[in-house]
Amino acid sequence: MAAKELTPGQRRFSPASLGADLVLLGWFVFSLFPLVWMVLLALKTNADQITTFFAFTPTLKNFGIVLSDEGTRLTSVNFTDALFNSVINCVGAVLVSLVIGIPAAYAAGRWQYRGSNDVMFTILSFRFAPELMVIVPLFVIYNQLGLFDTNVGMIWVLQLVTMPLIVWILRSYFQDLPAELEQAALLDGYTRRRAFMMVALPLVRPGIAASALLAFVFAWNNYVFPLILTGSRHTPVTVAVTRFLGGGGQAYYNLTAAAALIAALPPLIVALSIQRYLVRGLSFGAVKA
Amino acid sequence: MGSLAIRGLTARYGKTVALHGIDLELTDREFFVVLGPSGAGKTTTLKSVAGLVDGAAGEVRIAGRDMTGVEPYDRGVAMAFESYALYPQRTVEQNLASPLRSGRNGTWTPAQQAERIRQVTTTLGIDHLLGRYPRELSNGQRQRTALGRVLVRPAEVYLLDEPLSHLDAKLRAAMRAELKQLGDLSGTTTLYVTHDYQEALALGDRIGVLREGRLVQVGTPTQVWTEPVDTFVARTIGQPEMNLLDAVVDGGAARTPGGGVVLGVGPEVPAGDAVRLGIRPRDLEIVDRQAPDDRLVLRGRVVLAERLGRSVELSIDVAGVQVIAVTADHRTREGDSVTLVAEWANVHVFGAGEPAPRLGAACRPEPAQLAGGAR
Repeated sequence: MAAKELTPGQRRFSPASLGADLVLLGWFVFSLFPLVWMVLLALKTNADQITTFFAFTPTLKNFGIVLSDEGTRLTSVNFTDALFNSVINCVGAVLVSLVIGIPAAYAAGRWQYRGSNDVMFTILSFRFAPELMVIVPLFVIYNQLGLFDTNVGMIWVLQLVTMPLIVWILRSYFQDLPAELEQAALLDGYTRRRAFMMVALPLVRPGIAASALLAFVFAWNNYVFPLILTGSRHTPVTVAVTRFLGGGGQAYYNLTAAAALIAALPPLIVALSIQRYLVRGLSFGAVKA
Repeated sequence: MGSLAIRGLTARYGKTVALHGIDLELTDREFFVVLGPSGAGKTTTLKSVAGLVDGAAGEVRIAGRDMTGVEPYDRGVAMAFESYALYPQRTVEQNLASPLRSGRNGTWTPAQQAERIRQVTTTLGIDHLLGRYPRELSNGQRQRTALGRVLVRPAEVYLLDEPLSHLDAKLRAAMRAELKQLGDLSGTTTLYVTHDYQEALALGDRIGVLREGRLVQVGTPTQVWTEPVDTFVARTIGQPEMNLLDAVVDGGAARTPGGGVVLGVGPEVPAGDAVRLGIRPRDLEIVDRQAPDDRLVLRGRVVLAERLGRSVELSIDVAGVQVIAVTADHRTREGDSVTLVAEWANVHVFGAGEPAPRLGAACRPEPAQLAGGAR
């Protein structure tokens, strides 16, 4: 047998580890089952949708209905438009958060002043307030400002979701950068702004990718804000999905499942496309300046 | 190229005071070494000159220009950081090109830049590493790259923070010799920080010894070596450290408790005062013949002899007091009785306290006092 170094955490066979594996497997099935159920449901016909059989004749028709005029007729919301709205809202929200959040995170990471931690805590606290708690005043304000049922309004309100995430994640990235790197740039003859652009910014690119992705996913999945703050013109995808459950009329579980699967695709695509940076982000600490 | 004047420089980090009023004048092209243990405020001094310390107060003048409120990029200083601070996403060549491309250190065409970088890297022996990234370099190579980023550009003042500290012993000795010969360094006012007394003695036109944020002594290497202002400076400079023996003064002579060392301290030290006698290990010499009476004589027994190649480090028990001596004489064995002599001028007398101020050199005691000691 080839000589092999012992790695801490490497597996050795024992009855206890077998038991642990079984427990893990059980948990795996339990947590993945809703997803499996959703996929099955999306492939069922209207007749099969309320059965719990695993054996049925699968159909792709549901996806067609969701994306076609027939879906629009059932829910009075065009699902393709809803997807498009969500993309605009989330990309817009993340971009605004990045433009404002990167300088904010840099300042928070580099500049310690009396109360700087309180400011950071306040920013984080946007995340702990239940959305339902602020939604009523927001609804009133949005109605009066004319922001109700607009993309601008959604981008604005989604800042509550995306901004704290981006500022907090990027702050720790900036804190991990030695300040001497920028000091060196200052002494090389660069202004503070150029030192930031030239030295600090490129080095936190993995952090920007990771935090932007997380913020995008959180914004994409947000349900309460659009539920209350949009009408039928600028409905995003989370609200559009639930329309298939029917408001008092027939509930289409199979169509809901198909719509939810379609709605899960964009975040997946975004995650895969910036995966390269995410992996770099994980190994960032290995590069000692 | 320019002079550097520091007056009343203080710096604090929160409640901790890092520098208590540093005063320093460097003439044009002077090579000044700040020597001190870690935490003494050496790096803070450099960064204050560079304008990188927020809590710094006091006056800094570079080439006669007051630097109050002047941004670091307008000060015309170059600094090598102890942590190297190389840009990780850039190659060695791009790191060195950075100060030349900023536009504040003269205008350089790409060809001129390349030529200048080639010159500097060749001198530093890193010209084969131009395409590498900092993470692909050894610590010694990184340190030389950081030094190169300083030397590549013209500046009023160079600030070098322990530029040789991470090199291995051999390379450090070689680089020390090379640094001295570097034209760019000899032509530019340099403030050099180190904790290695040998670097300080070898490189400095003058040395300033820093202790807990205060400059305790400023002088030429010879002055600092031969007339250390107090026991702190005396111990900082020299390896093994200077022997410091407690003694009590009685009628113009100082005597160690066992009476093994007796010497004259002059009439100005009052009787009954505690003093400390300082003798560098290398100033003690073993003699075979009758001890000459024009020098200090110590008699004792060798407790430990460490053979370190060319020299031997001896721990000697002199009437109950431990004394270290370094000699080239390999015949001495543990248990031997030896006679050590030292020039009077090489025996320092310090006052009491920690650190104790230097009172002066010892002199020959009166014969009567000597007789009293032999009793």
